[in-house]
Amino acid sequence: MNLIQVATTTVTSAVSAVVLTGIDDDSVYMVTINNFFPDVDNKDPVTRVTVSGTAQSTSNYDRAIKILKANTSFGNVGNQNRSAFDVLTGAGTGTGEQNNAILYLYNFNNSSENSYITVQNTAINASSNHFGSMGGAVYTVQEAHDGISFSFSSDNIASGTFTLFKVVS
Amino acid sequence: MSNEFGYLPESPEQSFGNNKGIFTPKDIYDLTRADKYTNYGQLELIQTQTASSAVVDFTNLGDFDVHFVTFNDIVLSNDTTLFAHRLSNDGGTSFISSGYQYAIQYMGVNNSYGEDKGTTKLILTTLGLTGNDTNETKNGYIYYYHLLDSSKFSFCTINSFSMGSIAEGLFGSGVKATAEEHNAIRFCTTGGDAISSGTISLYGLKAYS
Repeated sequence: MNLIQVATTTVTSAVSAVVLTGIDDDSVYMVTINNFFPDVDNKDPVTRVTVSGTAQSTSNYDRAIKILKANTSFGNVGNQNRSAFDVLTGAGTGTGEQNNAILYLYNFNNSSENSYITVQNTAINASSNHFGSMGGAVYTVQEAHDGISFSFSSDNIASGTFTLFKVVS
Repeated sequence: MSNEFGYLPESPEQSFGNNKGIFTPKDIYDLTRADKYTNYGQLELIQTQTASSAVVDFTNLGDFDVHFVTFNDIVLSNDTTLFAHRLSNDGGTSFISSGYQYAIQYMGVNNSYGEDKGTTKLILTTLGLTGNDTNETKNGYIYYYHLLDSSKFSFCTINSFSMGSIAEGLFGSGVKATAEEHNAIRFCTTGGDAISSGTISLYGLKAYS
């Protein structure tokens, strides 16, 4: 396996969203996310597919995730017909509070298939607890998607590095 | 910047994202080593080690924000301890043995699903089931974040599948919630017993801004 970088963005001053585009074939793609946190405390990360660089917010996202918690019992989260993938950990602005994750993207370029992601997330949440999430999600609209967008439920991204790679053999 | 390479018809200045001319294999090798040859993003092998002593230490982590480790065919010398990893903040002279947090889901093929978690752990995470009988090996991969950034905590996610008295999968995450540089990784066992054999490879995920 090797990786070819397609796009990268590092946020150093607040922005409302980061959009990574450049998915233009049927390869598997991978996204690395690190040091991702909001400028206002206690916000939920929002992740969506893009069409021509525009995030798609229709209620066609389904997810199934195991929520890992170092301080208490784990959780199972499964939902259908959401407006975003919602696979990362609720984020804050306290010391060390951030999301780090690897996403794999499948079938994004295929206009006749759903678009899938898998997630491996490790984080400090908005209450300074160590959380992670593992699982997957799907956008059940059969259309081509050229990228992926990241934002928060409100307010802005204060920090984060987001890199999109194509996975090649 | 460099114009030391002899390209035709002239010797244009070379830099990442701006290569011009005709390249010999040696030019590409030299430019790559100088980080001046355009090759967007890659998984760079830092080191592969074959276990031959009690622990396996990686003391050269390169210069990356995200690291990737594969481990395979790991055999432990003792039947009752777990395969694990720890971090160092002094280049591998010593390894931190307290203050980790992790949350791991285990999945046994006999339906023994459960949680292994804590906020005062002695290892960054476990990496595989106990067991050292024939074919009871541990296999998996790890992503690390911010190991070398002295202003951030160090995080990881793990996925593994191993054989003990039964086969069992693990996935989870861990953190050393101390903002400091962690510049070496040790693969070890929870009981201080030896890793008998196996292969561990450390990669860096190179990205260009």
